[in-house]
Amino acid sequence: MERRANLLSRRTGLTLAALSIIALPLIFNDTYWRTNLTICAINVLLALGLDFILGYAGQLNLGHSAFYGLGAYVSTLLIVKLGVPFWGAFAAGVAFSGLAGMFLSLFAVRLRGHYLAIASLGFAVIIYQILLNWISLTQGPLGIYGISPPPPIAIAGTLLVDFRNLTAFFYLVSGFTLVVYLLLDQLVRSPVGETLTAIREDEVSAASLGINGAAWKVFAFGVGAAIGGAAGCFYASFVGTLVPDAFFVTEAFNILAMVIVGGMGTLIGPVFGAILLTLLPEVLRGIGDLRLVVYGAALTFVVLFMPGGLAQAARIVREKLGFGGQPS
Amino acid sequence: MTTTIVLQQAINGVVLGSLYVLVALGLTLIYGVLVQINFAHADFVTLGAFAAYFLMHMVGAGYIVSIGFAFVVGAVLGWLINASIFTPLRRKGNELLPLIATIGVSVMMQNLMLAWFGPIPYAFETQYSSQVIRFAGIFVSWQSVIIIAVSSVTIALLYAFMKFTFLGKALRAVSQDRETAGLMGINPNQLIMLTFIIASALAGMAGAMLAPVLVLTPFAGTSVIVKAFAIVIIGGFGNVEGTILAGLIVGLVESYTTQYLDPGLIDIVVFGLLLLMLAIKPTGLISERREENV
Repeated sequence: MERRANLLSRRTGLTLAALSIIALPLIFNDTYWRTNLTICAINVLLALGLDFILGYAGQLNLGHSAFYGLGAYVSTLLIVKLGVPFWGAFAAGVAFSGLAGMFLSLFAVRLRGHYLAIASLGFAVIIYQILLNWISLTQGPLGIYGISPPPPIAIAGTLLVDFRNLTAFFYLVSGFTLVVYLLLDQLVRSPVGETLTAIREDEVSAASLGINGAAWKVFAFGVGAAIGGAAGCFYASFVGTLVPDAFFVTEAFNILAMVIVGGMGTLIGPVFGAILLTLLPEVLRGIGDLRLVVYGAALTFVVLFMPGGLAQAARIVREKLGFGGQPS
Repeated sequence: MTTTIVLQQAINGVVLGSLYVLVALGLTLIYGVLVQINFAHADFVTLGAFAAYFLMHMVGAGYIVSIGFAFVVGAVLGWLINASIFTPLRRKGNELLPLIATIGVSVMMQNLMLAWFGPIPYAFETQYSSQVIRFAGIFVSWQSVIIIAVSSVTIALLYAFMKFTFLGKALRAVSQDRETAGLMGINPNQLIMLTFIIASALAGMAGAMLAPVLVLTPFAGTSVIVKAFAIVIIGGFGNVEGTILAGLIVGLVESYTTQYLDPGLIDIVVFGLLLLMLAIKPTGLISERREENV
């Protein structure tokens, strides 16, 4: 019975999500808000990738900006320097980021907690410095300009979708993000999710049950980093300009903040965390430099008073209103 | 000629390295007693630098006095961060939450400084920067002499404090086993507070001495702190001797990379070293019994 109710509410949730994705660019019909919506979708993708590594596999990754940057630069350089078609370059960017994640996970196999946090931070610093200093390849701080959006979709000479259109681009990224969300949702409900949770909670006990912790960490880092790489590919073709500063380690902290404020270890939490923290600085633009002060304060207060983030807040509200007892 | 360059860069490296040691020692002391990371440590360095700058330029105080003032500012900040973030979160016993809370504090402090001080770098000059001693073709500014003198005296005092005083011994006892130390009549809460105050005071002081070397903006501390993290790990988390050794090594690596390779490669070399260390010997140069994270 309960399972059926769950399935129903998931179906309602999916319909609601799809409807709001379709409706949003129609409600916000100016360039400024449509741009923000697409950035939101990219950030949701980033937050989902990090949440899978951090919230589900429990690996303290402070270097997610590296995978984001690698996806963006690898796909763009393939397009600009070698003339690879967009979707080929996209696949390569995602694969490269995934491999970079698997490389970093080799450290996670041996290290835990703060050691892994600093190792991943160091990894992100190295990637940033390479992007900044390998000028013959990346043009360093000068950046790469005029990156084209994905090619239009046309059948028999009739133009169907043109991604120079902001709405079309938003549908592309948010549609992709929704698919990633649904796949991750299936994954974390499957035995794979239970295995990862077991490793997160107690690696030694998990090993005693015959779970190969090392292999699963490689898997979690690979998946999470590949999702971050996809976000990077979209970012590059959306903004049209690439500079290394977009992928400085502070960006990793921003992504981390989205996951934490949303509620790590849930999938829906980081979605709302990413949306909130992308829009908050925009809404607060009126108070100038102080808006990031509010951003920092919000992060601190969430950790101090609501460490489960928005997901925990929603659960408390639901229980107060009498819908209690529903597992999330 | 080449030996002169090698010696000159060795001196530059030791000057820089001893400042990194001051910053990294704070991180390692806190890690020792609390097994926590304070990200806002970076901003204590920056705020120490600004405190010294404004004391010199608004009040007209001397440089040495300003270093002392930065020490006090750091101490106050350390008291604040422990009372507001680490003490309330300690009961939850989570290694991630304080780390993220201090990232939030760091974002807050950097942007408050940005609002007050603006993004344009401050020129922090002391009368000692231009006074140079030369011997055998090597140049050493009085500024460097002050840095080496102040930091080595501070490090020696800290070392003596940890080794010979009752409080220092209690502190080491707490970092080895908090519960047992509590049973021996040591109040761990007071010692943790003391550690935070000492650690942050060192950061503030280091900021006042780093300021003439760094580009002094509200974000200056960040570049120092990521290197300090690398030093703490290379030296072995929570290990004082290892941190001193690793700090000097990183200072030397930085000055020789600038001389023989390219300044842009400094971070790549330092963090390459860090990852190599983690891959080969994750317990650091001088390993201690704390191996639960490795």
